[in-house]
Amino acid sequence: MTTRSRLVLAAVATAVIVVPLAWLWWSSLLPDEYSVMTMGYMDYGDGQAEHGETGHMESDAISITELTVPADAKPDVSVDLTVRKETFTLASGRQVDGYTVNGQSPGPTIRATEGDLVEVNLINESVPDGVALHWHGVDVPNAMDGVAGVTQDAVAEGGTFSYRFYADQVGTYWYHSHQISHEQVKGGLLGPLVVSPAVRGEPKGNEVVDLPALVHIYDGVRTVNGFEGDVAVDAAAGQTARVRVINTDNGPMSVWVSGAEYRVVAVDGYDIHQPDTVSGEAVLVTAGGRADLEIVVPDSGARVELGGNTAILLGPGAEAVTKTAAPTDFVDFLDYGSPAPLGFDPGTATRDFEYVVDRRPGLLDGKPGLWWTVNGHMYPDVPMFAVAEGDIVRMTIENHSGEVHPMHLHGHHAVVLSRDGEPATGSPWWVDSLNVRDGETYDIAFVADNPGIWLDHCHNLPHATEGLLAHLMYIGYTTPYMLGGASGNQPE
Amino acid sequence: MRTTYRVFAYIIAAEVAIQAAAVAYALFGLGIWIDKDGGVLDKAAIESEPDFPGVIGFAIHGMNGMMLIPLIALIFFILSFFARVPGGVKWAGFVLIAVIVQVTLGLFGHEIASLGILHGINALLVFSLAVMAGKRAGTSSSQPASGTAAASHSV
Repeated sequence: MTTRSRLVLAAVATAVIVVPLAWLWWSSLLPDEYSVMTMGYMDYGDGQAEHGETGHMESDAISITELTVPADAKPDVSVDLTVRKETFTLASGRQVDGYTVNGQSPGPTIRATEGDLVEVNLINESVPDGVALHWHGVDVPNAMDGVAGVTQDAVAEGGTFSYRFYADQVGTYWYHSHQISHEQVKGGLLGPLVVSPAVRGEPKGNEVVDLPALVHIYDGVRTVNGFEGDVAVDAAAGQTARVRVINTDNGPMSVWVSGAEYRVVAVDGYDIHQPDTVSGEAVLVTAGGRADLEIVVPDSGARVELGGNTAILLGPGAEAVTKTAAPTDFVDFLDYGSPAPLGFDPGTATRDFEYVVDRRPGLLDGKPGLWWTVNGHMYPDVPMFAVAEGDIVRMTIENHSGEVHPMHLHGHHAVVLSRDGEPATGSPWWVDSLNVRDGETYDIAFVADNPGIWLDHCHNLPHATEGLLAHLMYIGYTTPYMLGGASGNQPE
Repeated sequence: MRTTYRVFAYIIAAEVAIQAAAVAYALFGLGIWIDKDGGVLDKAAIESEPDFPGVIGFAIHGMNGMMLIPLIALIFFILSFFARVPGGVKWAGFVLIAVIVQVTLGLFGHEIASLGILHGINALLVFSLAVMAGKRAGTSSSQPASGTAAASHSV
């Protein structure tokens, strides 16, 4: 072979390898700026996904910016939250380089009473990438959902935003940034939100200890409300303690109690109907999820174990309580508590969606990897689940991806109907954050009663950055906000 | 070109050594963190990158293995078209295939633990193939193929 023909052959062989790779790489790049309205494809939940662009921006579509609480309504609770990027000291004394809310992390607990109009004024003092606050588990009006690039623009340094919503749901919730959330949440831009019932027998004297227990890993150390190790809480023997566990991390955690029995009185803010007494089992709290544990403090005290060497000590004698190992059995909410009316009939569902999580090798925005897929499609070609207000919606969530996923639907609570075909027989199990293990299939149902454009994503926040997300869209609504571009909106 | 070929071959071999070193460093660090510091590793902790000496080894192993080594192996293969090393394309092809197998084993090892056994053994194969390819490129000579036939026989 001559040198020339050899070179030509080498060049051709190079082109055969490089050109298809370059094309694959180029076609996987995300545009600088794009809208959730035009990405992916429509899925109407009737078994016929319509492929191609979503692009259903009819000229008469209602902008989600109109979905707010009337401006003239007077707030019952008004809070200013100033956020900063800085080095700060945790309650444990440890120094952390991250984010603070009103100078602390976790941020202050916002407390409201059922029915209150809550107003939160967000002030971004020094978060360079911008901030948006999401009210995790609270089914707020869409424009108040705090998702940068979907329901608002990220609030730039020096900017403010006023969130207003009615605290109609009693229970344990939390707030966190939904702008570059995988970084800002990890760095501590978060805090608890507790809504108490309007009518409750006034606690006589000091009968009830009500303790939000926000669990967060700062720099690899598990903390509760910023403390680590054994965290003693004032509680007398015989008192009832309600420990509101909030998992703000990216993977599921176990909670169990040493030295006492307990009951799980609420999950994701919603009361469990007639909860059974538990001993020797743990509660799995998925990423973003909450579980309220009620413990009658025994004379000898009790420990609420949060894993990672961190525990809440209840009662004066609790130091002497022996720490127990994490139970391998978990409370199964499929048959926990007793049935109660759902308030709607999932049998009359008008939409039926599938949300199948898998993964395959490929390129995402030019980066090679083994990426998540939703219904076989890789980001940004993800489904837009379309519903109309008033629809009863069923969704089957399947996970074949080899990893657990905490699936979080914004703006709605769904009830679990079955897992792997086994029907739910216990208390209605309402969730906003559902732990779906590899190989599991969950059937859930919800009422489409909160119009707007909602994220439906994995709350392992790095997974969401890797494209494990979809949207729920009410037909006839649109959003003016864009992802990327000048606004710098980057919700995940 | 022959020199470039040889350098790339040895870079891949060195990368295998870095991979082994990084993951061993990380696992030792993890062991110490659990045994001596009482660290607890659960799903929530692993997703938040626990902070212990050696933890960076996992990140290095992942990034290096998923991105850098496949890229180097691909460039190495393309280089081989131009390098005029006797059997150079074949050996670079073997290296590339072994790297692809290695990445696949690494990825699916997250689902089937026993693939880790093959992943460990295949690493030695990548290393050996890279060294053999490098040796075929001879010493520093950039003579045409016929001129180095004797040299490559001697190794």
